[in-house]
Amino acid sequence: MTTPIAAAAEAATKQLPRKFGNKQVFLPNHVVAFIRPKDKQPPNLATFVVPLKFNKFDLRDYLYHGYNVQVTSVRSFINRQFPKRKFAHHGRIYLPRPQKMMIVELLKPFVWPEPPAKSDLDAFDYATYKKISDQRGSETKKRIDPTKVPLLSRSPLPEYRVKLKESAADMAKRGEWSNEKNNDDEWTEVETDVKV
Amino acid sequence: MAAAAMRPSMGALGRISSSTPSPLRPLTQTASISTTAALLKRHKYREARVYRDNSKHRGESAIHRSGTRWRLSMSDEPLPRPVPRSKLPAIETDPDHGLWDFFANRQMISDPPSEIAKHGRSWTAEELRHKSWDDLHRLWWVCAKERNRIATANWERNKGEMGFGEAEAQKRDHTVRQTMRSIKHVLTERFYTWEDAVKLAENDPEVDLTGNGPAFIPSNYLEEGDVAATEGEQQAAETTGETVEKADPVTTATPEPATIPSSQQPTDAPR
Repeated sequence: MTTPIAAAAEAATKQLPRKFGNKQVFLPNHVVAFIRPKDKQPPNLATFVVPLKFNKFDLRDYLYHGYNVQVTSVRSFINRQFPKRKFAHHGRIYLPRPQKMMIVELLKPFVWPEPPAKSDLDAFDYATYKKISDQRGSETKKRIDPTKVPLLSRSPLPEYRVKLKESAADMAKRGEWSNEKNNDDEWTEVETDVKV
Repeated sequence: MAAAAMRPSMGALGRISSSTPSPLRPLTQTASISTTAALLKRHKYREARVYRDNSKHRGESAIHRSGTRWRLSMSDEPLPRPVPRSKLPAIETDPDHGLWDFFANRQMISDPPSEIAKHGRSWTAEELRHKSWDDLHRLWWVCAKERNRIATANWERNKGEMGFGEAEAQKRDHTVRQTMRSIKHVLTERFYTWEDAVKLAENDPEVDLTGNGPAFIPSNYLEEGDVAATEGEQQAAETTGETVEKADPVTTATPEPATIPSSQQPTDAPR
């Protein structure tokens, strides 16, 4: 608020009795995560992952008192989770707790910064991370359906095949081939003496 | 025979006026009383023809470009074209927006693992014992917001496939949780201390728990002359600086009023 009139208006509204957030809560032990919005989501909407026991009023009061963020409305929904195994490959199957998300309409818009380019992620050791995650992904695929063997034509060529291909291309370019042996002394041309 | 030539509807009227059975009554009548002439009803037999045109779009053809059957109330003024999102003016975020507090790093959202690992140890209970309730509650909120920051960064790192840092974040979160645990530990200690103090005060004749008048009435107190004498002694002690420090733990050990449930809570909402 830069202008004095706006500052005065804000001060006046602060004097008004608040209709919400009057219940005192001490030592709130919740974890709320702020989530990057989907594409084309307008900047006055903000998404949060909240504890399951949160309701809309809780999030509104939490944002107001903890972060001084004013909210005009709240929408909430619950994402069910798929059944999981206790360990990666084995163990009992269980249903993880669902996850609650809330989308609030902000009074002041908030635009997220652009996600960083992969080339800027050297501090995160992105190259190693990518290599490992790709390898894990292919292993998981193999484990899920071992009968699904990738086609040989799709798999990368082994090293000897690559070298063979290179030399063949080289030969085709030169247009001639020799094994560097001269057998002219041992062999005689027979067909030249034959009279048909 | 004149009655036989009468219209059936008139016959129905006559039927209402006279309840006596008549041979002129139409044979199709089944109900005892009806104001509708049965023979004047619409034909509802199976093959009855409906003359209304049920097809509202009869004669309209997309292939033959017949157009609509009626003039439509529309103008041919050019409609405004939507502006593409890229050409809209950029929305500026307030640099003091409260939601920035969810980010450890304003550009990357998540700090790199080397930065995440840069943290000290958690607060110990012994350190927190000397803090007031206000300090503890403030520290609790610092911890809560730090945990939110870690959770936001974790989500962003995983969903955005940014790289490593999960283990470092987990360690950092654990350190924060240790501090929160110590805060609760200290507050519980204070509550037990207060409970014990109340028990002692119930049997203490010098303490009045009714709330009327002063809570503490000492049985022995010093006269004015004695006070002057003790003040002189205290001043002498302050110059040496020995006894004053010993009095400190006693004052800090008294329970904070905020930890007492029955007392009045602070009026300001927690921030």
